[in-house]
This record gives sequence, structure tokens and C-alpha cells, in this order.
Amino acid sequence: MPTAVPLARRAFLARIGILGAALGGGGLLTRSLLNPADAATNPLLPPTVDLLRPVLAALARDTMNGLTVFCQPGPDAYSRTQGTVSKTPGAMESGATNFIIESLDNFVPFPDALAQPIGAAMVTGLADTGIVLPGLELLPPQLRQLDKALAALLQSDEALPLSLPIAMLLNLMATQVNPLAVNGPHLSPFARLTYAEKASAFELIEKTDADLVALLDVQFPEPLKESVSGLLKFVGGALIEFGTFGAYSEYAVFDPKTRKLKGRPVSWQLSGYQPDGPVEGWDDFIGYYQGRTEVHD
Amino acid sequence: MRDVIVIGAGGGGPVVAKELAAKGLDVLVLEAGPRHAKPRDEWTTFENDANNPLSGYFRLGPTDRSKPAWYREWPQNSFVWQLSGVGGTTQHFYGNYPRAYPGVFKGYDGADRNEYDVNHRFPFTYKEMVPYFEWVEALMPVQTAAMGHKEQLFFKGAETMGLPVQTTKTTLRASYRPQENAILQPQGTAGKTSDKNLLNFPQAKGCTFCGYCFQGCMRPKGAPRNQFAKRSTDNSYVPMALTAEVWATGGRPAELIADAYVTQVHSEKRNGVLTATGVTWRDNVTGDEHREDAKVVVMAGGCTENPRLWFNSGLPNPNDWVGRGYTDHFFDWMIGSFDDYTGNPKGVGSSARLDYPPYGGLENVGLPPALSAFSASLSDSGIRGQYKNGRGATGPWDGPAGRVAGPELKELLSGGIDKLLTVLVITDDDVEAQNRVTLSALPADENGPIPKVTFKQRQRTKRTLKNREFMARKAAELLRGAGAKKVYRIDWAPLILHVQSSMRMGESENNSVLDARGESRAVKRLFIADNSALPNGLGGPNPTLTSQALATRTAEKIFQTYFGGDPWVLKEAPVVSTDPRISVRLGQLGL
Repeated sequence: MPTAVPLARRAFLARIGILGAALGGGGLLTRSLLNPADAATNPLLPPTVDLLRPVLAALARDTMNGLTVFCQPGPDAYSRTQGTVSKTPGAMESGATNFIIESLDNFVPFPDALAQPIGAAMVTGLADTGIVLPGLELLPPQLRQLDKALAALLQSDEALPLSLPIAMLLNLMATQVNPLAVNGPHLSPFARLTYAEKASAFELIEKTDADLVALLDVQFPEPLKESVSGLLKFVGGALIEFGTFGAYSEYAVFDPKTRKLKGRPVSWQLSGYQPDGPVEGWDDFIGYYQGRTEVHD
Repeated sequence: MRDVIVIGAGGGGPVVAKELAAKGLDVLVLEAGPRHAKPRDEWTTFENDANNPLSGYFRLGPTDRSKPAWYREWPQNSFVWQLSGVGGTTQHFYGNYPRAYPGVFKGYDGADRNEYDVNHRFPFTYKEMVPYFEWVEALMPVQTAAMGHKEQLFFKGAETMGLPVQTTKTTLRASYRPQENAILQPQGTAGKTSDKNLLNFPQAKGCTFCGYCFQGCMRPKGAPRNQFAKRSTDNSYVPMALTAEVWATGGRPAELIADAYVTQVHSEKRNGVLTATGVTWRDNVTGDEHREDAKVVVMAGGCTENPRLWFNSGLPNPNDWVGRGYTDHFFDWMIGSFDDYTGNPKGVGSSARLDYPPYGGLENVGLPPALSAFSASLSDSGIRGQYKNGRGATGPWDGPAGRVAGPELKELLSGGIDKLLTVLVITDDDVEAQNRVTLSALPADENGPIPKVTFKQRQRTKRTLKNREFMARKAAELLRGAGAKKVYRIDWAPLILHVQSSMRMGESENNSVLDARGESRAVKRLFIADNSALPNGLGGPNPTLTSQALATRTAEKIFQTYFGGDPWVLKEAPVVSTDPRISVRLGQLGL
């Protein structure tokens, strides 16, 4: 019999969202797939790794949905959960989640040397902060199987998509703000928060110094330690700022091949920008202030 | 062996290249980023396509946009808006060309003389600088800005503040005025129609009021590159440098290589004196390294990249001031919402300003929606109504300072992008050793260890903090005077757009990298000629004119010191950058 996974470990997986996304009510894996007997028949590669990869991607996407509607609420279910549902289009319609995931995974030149330990810390951390979490009735063997798969994934040569540790950071903060967020609608704890609770999660990230780094329980080499703390502050701000930029940009309707728009961007609809599309100029020249066209000393 | 190698084709490098090419020197310009030779094929008018810092065509990175941008470490919530590419940050600037305040120069004896950054003045007088200001102003040319609706509204607010209108080039007192800008003012149909069929060159000349300054100026459509409205260096100095043989007697065209990342400045001891001898650069496309020697090397890669290159080249830093004293005008951002039309996203990004020596200044800024939303979201004061991050100042604005975010932002922008008027709060900020560039402990990129830009925004000097509060209150007063129904203060986290003084020139060898001639104190034949060479934050005026005037002066010093030539600025009149001879030659070159 495998030994039981400690409660703290179980709690941590729940808090970063993996446990719920994989196995919670509405989770993406059935418990039978994590049956230890199945794993034993494939000793070279735990089959759970292949099963887990899409679960992690779905978890990241769900978390980012929670983020982008925080930046730009709309008529969708995430905005409703957040308590800020609106009749006009929002982040789901402006493609902001794709924007942020694509940016994080493909374009943020975040050094792997840093992404990997942060990602590993997120996935393997214990973070026994004494918060009591409800609904952790998962059987130890299944949890252990999940853990093995995570470890295998992290030890492989596959680059970890940056959206995953970012999502896990948001989920960790979400459960710090509201422990009940480990369960509920959607796949991720962060997406289950109200608008005010999400703001509180960002407040925790923004005021970080040593606290959050300690919470991550990760050992960075000494010169990097200070960088990680500063970086998390930067990331906290950037997620709001960059998410907002994307939500209000033409991203979703821009065709990179023709360099033209396929439709009217959400933000243009909302704000009345360029009612007839791009221009060569405007008839907005009034004249010169006080009629003066040049000045001299 | 070249006469001169210029590192960087941004706001400063092309000035030296153009001036020395006109004197017949053999000049090589190396630009780390893209050439952008065919803007109509490469650019659009869209914010994400243009301004996404990771993947936009205006980013810090190589030409190939499928490759990642160059990562820089910012150990705080901040945004350092660097651009690679020919033109540098002048590609997205608004062409504002105010002169530095006289109070930041040596010998200033006005009644407020003790209220500036008195320990970091220019090592020469304002009077000595004036001919260089005039040279650049005539060359660009710099003119009084045309007025659109957003400027009219800004002036309406300024008129309520009891301040005079400035009608001189030199700022003598608190006052307001249209910008003096490096924009060709509208002529013909420009500014008078929105019909694109009527806006082709030469029917339209100068600024068409398109509102796309931040996405790059390529208008009027069909104009030669050197007659596009905005005088970014890719439209002005660079074309001049590349065609020097047709407009300067004895001129020799400079050579420009893009996608050429300089990774090393070489030096050796000559007669016991450390002397620059050349550079190594790396081709972004092939990864090949090239080395070339020169009699003089000019660094002009910007306030963040110059210190990095210095450190990576192993050059000496005897007083520890390389990378220190970075000034940024400690900006803030105020948004006014109005019942009536403001014309916010139309016309030049900013054509009105209010100067307030020795505190700083204000200018209006018009932005399209994504940049408006970004600007409302960058704050050190949390989110309005949610959390304050230990700040959230209250004052003559509505509610606490902080991000306008989520539902509040959506409501604000849904009220109409053209019902907003935004004001940039510019602080006369002190040179501080703690605000600096160092090498990052994070992994190097393909060009070596990367820079880390540290701004301790909450621990700035008393004077800097006081100036920012003073100007933020003035901005609120202006917006109220203009009729804003609601005024928001964002309390920006450091948004590093005006950059100055990280390799500063100074009188004292204890706190400066450059001597009064623009040559580095530690390495002979090595000059710096961009914003990083500025001795201070200029009192708040946008830095490009002063930086280019100083670079012109530095070009003269190089020519006098190492090529036996005579200075020219006091004796000659500059050729204007729109000169048709340049246009014809550009056409022949396929540019």
C-alpha cells in the first residue's frame, strides 16, 4: 500500500486548482482513470501525464477567464459569478483569454531557468498555512497518482507553459482570500471569486515582499531571490494592465495575413472609436490658438 | 577602420551620424532592431499590432516578430517603454519639442534658482545651448502646433488658472501654450476632411489629424519618407544621414545596418590612456558576429541599453555612476470625463502644454481605446473602491487615486472615447543614485547579461514627491476648468517614457559619466549622444529637442577633437530635413 499523501499536500493541490480541475465535482478526470492498478500496467510512462496535460491547460484557461472578465466584464457566466454581469460584450467576446494565454505561453520571453522552478514550486509545494479547506475527501491513492503524474510532467523536457504557474498563483491567492473557492462552479478557484475577492487576491500579490515567496516554499539561488519577489510584484500589476490592454484591443478580429480587421473590435463598439473604421485623417483642425503660428524669444 | 561608429538609430544616434556625414566622415550606424523601410507594408493603425510590447511592430526585439522580444528585468510594478528599430522611441512619440527650462543649466540666476535639482545642473549655460536648440528647431522644423478640439478644451481649462500664455521659445515662468512640435502642420486638405480619397500627397501636406502618432507616422499617403508629418528620426535625421552627399558640400552618406545588436565596445590602453577602438555586433538573423574598428565610438542605445553595454564590455566605472541617476519625470495620469465632445483620439497625440517651472508641467494626451484602458490600469494605488496598496491619495479629483478598472473602466469608456480628456502629469524629478540600471541576475539573452531597471518610486526625494503632488493638483484644476464632470487620478506606477540621465554629463567627476563635451571620463574616444547623456530631467520638458541639441554639440566636439575640424553651428544655417533633394535621393535608393 502506498503511504498516504499528507494533508498539507492535498490542500495545496486543491488550492492551486489542480485537484478540483482533475477530480472535483465537474472535474475533467474520472477517478477510475487514476486507479493505481491501471498505472501499474504502464511502468515507463504514467498514463496520467497524458491525461493531465489537457486538464492543466483547461485549468489555466478557466483561471484566465476569471482574470479577463475582471479586466472587462460582459454578459458571460464568469462575469455573473463575479457579480458584475453586464449587457454589453466583454472579455469573452474580445478574445482576451486567448490573448493572455497566447502572450504568456508564446511571447513572454520569461527565462525557463526561472519559470521551471516557479512552476515546480507551484505544483509540488506544500504550503501548509493552516487554512482549513472543505471537501477534500479524495482517496490517498488517487491523489498520489495525480502527484506522480505532475512530477513526471515537471521532470520531462517539455517547457511548462507560463500560463500554468500564473494560473496557479492566482488560484493560490484566491483560496487565501476565500478558502471556500476550492469548490464551486467553473474549474478554477480564482474564477469562483467575486469581483471584490479578486481585487483582494491582487492586493495580496501587489503588497508582496518576502511573504509570497515564502508561501511558495521554493528555494531559489541567492542572487535570484530578490528578483523573484520583484518579479511577482511586476507580474501582479502586469496581469491587470496587460489583460486590460488585450481586452480593449483589436486582437480578436485582426487578421495577421491581410493586416485587416474581420469585424468591429469590442472596445470600438463600446467606446465609439472610429465609427467607419481606420482613417487617413480627420477633419478636426480648428486653427491656431489665438491665431499665433510662430513664436520667438 | 571607420571614422565613427554610432550604436543605435533612435532619437540621438542619427543626429551625430547626420552631422558628421555632412562633414564627409565615414560613419557606420548600427541599429539593434528593425529597419522599417516600408511602413505601408509593415505597419497598420491598430494598437495591438503596433504597440503590444511582446509582439507588436513597435517593441524591443528583432525584426522577426515570431521571435520573442528582449526581456528586461523590472523589479517593481512598472513599464519601461523601450523600442528597437530605426527611429527608436521617436517612432511612437508625439513630436513635442519644448526646450529644457533655463533653471537646469549652469549659471542660472533667476529668483527660483535654488528650487531646481541644483546638484545636477548642465555643466554649461543655457545661453551656450541656444544656438543648438535653434539649429535643431530649424532643421526639423519645429513649429507652433495646430489646434484640434482636445487642445481647445485643454486651453479652456488653462485659461481659468490665472496663468499667461507663453509666446516665446524659452519658458520663463509658469504659463501655457500650444506645443512647439516637430510635426509638419496641416496644409491643403490635411485636417479638413476625413475622406481618404482627398488625403493623398501633395493634395494633403503635413499632419492629417489621423491620431495614429503612437502607431507610427506614414502620412500623408504617398509623401516621400522625409515629408511624412511627424519628424521622428526615421523620417528626418536618418534620411539626411543616408543622403548626405546630395545636400551637403563634401558630404558622404552614412551606412546603416539594422538587426545589428552591439554586444561589445572594444578598448585598449594607448600611451597609458584607455581608448575605445571599435565594436562587435551580432546579426539578429544569422547570429553571426562582426567586428569593426573606428576612430570614435558613439553610444546611443538609450538609457537602459547604454549602461548594459558598458557593463558587458567590461569598461571601468570608477565613481560607480554608470547607470545611476535615471530620471523619468515620475509621471502621473489624470482622466477627465465630459458631457461634450472632446476630440480625444484625433490629431497629434498632444498639442497643448502647460509649463510650471520649477515643479514640472502638464500636457494633453489623446489615445485610442486599448492604450486608454492600459493607461487607466497602471497604478501604484491599487483599484479604486477596492484596495489602495498603501496609497490612494485624495485631493481635488474624485475619490481616491487608483486604477479605474473592471466595471468602472468599462462604464467610463462606454461613455465615449471622445468624451474624455486626459492629462499627463510631468514631474521635475531629481537625479537620484538609487534609480538605476544594473545587470540582472536573471539568465542572459543571446546578446549577453540583461539590464535590470530599478525605480524606487515611493522613496524619491522630497522635492520630487512634492512636485508631483503639486502638478497633479494643477491637472485637476485644469480639467475642472475645462468642464470635466468627473476627474480621476490614476497614481501611475513608473511608466518610463521620458528617459534621461542614466549616463549623465556633469560638472563634477564624482557623480557623472561624461565630461562637459559628451566624452566619457573613463574611456577616451567614447562618446554618448542620446537622452542618457543629459545631465538631469530638464525640469520636465519632453527631452528630445534638448537631447538632439546636445548631440549636435557633441558631434561638433568629436569633429573638433579627433578630426581637426571647425564647429559649424554658429556659422552655418542647417538644411531643412524636408529638403526635396533628400526626397529625390531616397526615391533613387528605394526608400
